[in-house]
Amino acid sequence: MKELDDASLLRLIAQAQIDAFGELYDRYNRLVFSVAYAMLGDQSTAEEVTLDVFVHVWQRAKTYRPERAKVSTWLVAMTRNQAIDVLRWQKSRPDMASLGWDEATLKQKIDLHSTQEQVELSIQREKVREALARLPDNERQALAMAYFQDYSHTQIAEALKQPLGTIKTRIRTAMQKLRQMLEAD
Amino acid sequence: MSTDAHVLESLSAYALGCLDESEDRMVSEHLAGCHICRMELQSFQSVADQLALAAPDAAPPPELKRQLLERVGSLRTVQPKPVRKPLFHFLSLKGALGLLLILALLVSNFLLWRQVNRMAAVLTGPQGMRAIALESSTLKPDASGFVIIGPDGRNGALVVDQLPVLDEERTYQLWLVSNEAITSAALFSVDEYGYRGVRIMAPESLFVYSEIRITIEPAGGSSTPTGEQVLAGSLFNH
Repeated sequence: MKELDDASLLRLIAQAQIDAFGELYDRYNRLVFSVAYAMLGDQSTAEEVTLDVFVHVWQRAKTYRPERAKVSTWLVAMTRNQAIDVLRWQKSRPDMASLGWDEATLKQKIDLHSTQEQVELSIQREKVREALARLPDNERQALAMAYFQDYSHTQIAEALKQPLGTIKTRIRTAMQKLRQMLEAD
Repeated sequence: MSTDAHVLESLSAYALGCLDESEDRMVSEHLAGCHICRMELQSFQSVADQLALAAPDAAPPPELKRQLLERVGSLRTVQPKPVRKPLFHFLSLKGALGLLLILALLVSNFLLWRQVNRMAAVLTGPQGMRAIALESSTLKPDASGFVIIGPDGRNGALVVDQLPVLDEERTYQLWLVSNEAITSAALFSVDEYGYRGVRIMAPESLFVYSEIRITIEPAGGSSTPTGEQVLAGSLFNH
């Protein structure tokens, strides 16, 4: 099971193969939980979102199309959508002081049994983290509030007590820089 | 539609989903007719999709896997219709707590939901809010949906279910029809269940429109309906 790629696992999960499902969970539970926790700031809610995401995978594995997106991208999108729904329902945001980009160059362990996708994902994570680390603090902060907290421009400006135009510029500039860095070889 | 040539300055924020409502709507409408901006948006969307990878590394407790397998095991044994927490799937509607109540009542009460569909009725809820069932086309007979409109017509929500999941090249588009014009009100996709809740954003009170339509359009939307109609319903006769 460990030697199978992600798409093959999804095909097996679509056939109700529980071992394949367990393997997929082993590969991506940390990614899904990390995104959920970064957005929600609450352990139990993040756990619940993680469970929901993987239950959805179990029930809808047959809808996954490898030509549309990587499995990791699909999982992250589901996680973010679920977490946004929770944030909007709760009408509250976790304390931003407790959240932030992971600026340290923590390297996810890659063991000898990692699949090609996991190796690529780990490399991509490092690339994104390094790119973010190169942004000024104020740009990185505004970006985090927009992406992880589902804040609008106006809400970010109010929270940070900054002019709206300043926030718009910070986010636009940050995204342009990231695009340049991430598209570079 | 925006009168600006392009909306390039707003696309990065649009990809993040952090534009304010009015600007988001303006950009959506512009994208419906601008290939250049749609291409630019794709590159920013790729960046946005990668941001989650930078989330601080965290791990769930080991027992979560056991809980998951138990939950999945119960689904395998009983094979029920998938249970979801409907409250987590609704968009919050600012200043419209009554609309949220209607949505929660209708979705959590399966029998009432079925009644709305069968009767194609206009149900009047608390404080004058209305729920209007939409009719599916013969091409998508399993699809269903309804529209909730607040008492003053300024707030509205659309809920759809069992619509087919579209590929990346296409999107669902919501149209409001009046005697004078057909106005785009939302672009949306559906989740794995074919479900979505969408806030209806209209330039005027929803009471001025007589009909609502949902069609399948190219990604980014169209300036007028061009594709297959999947759901439709009458709102108010004027």
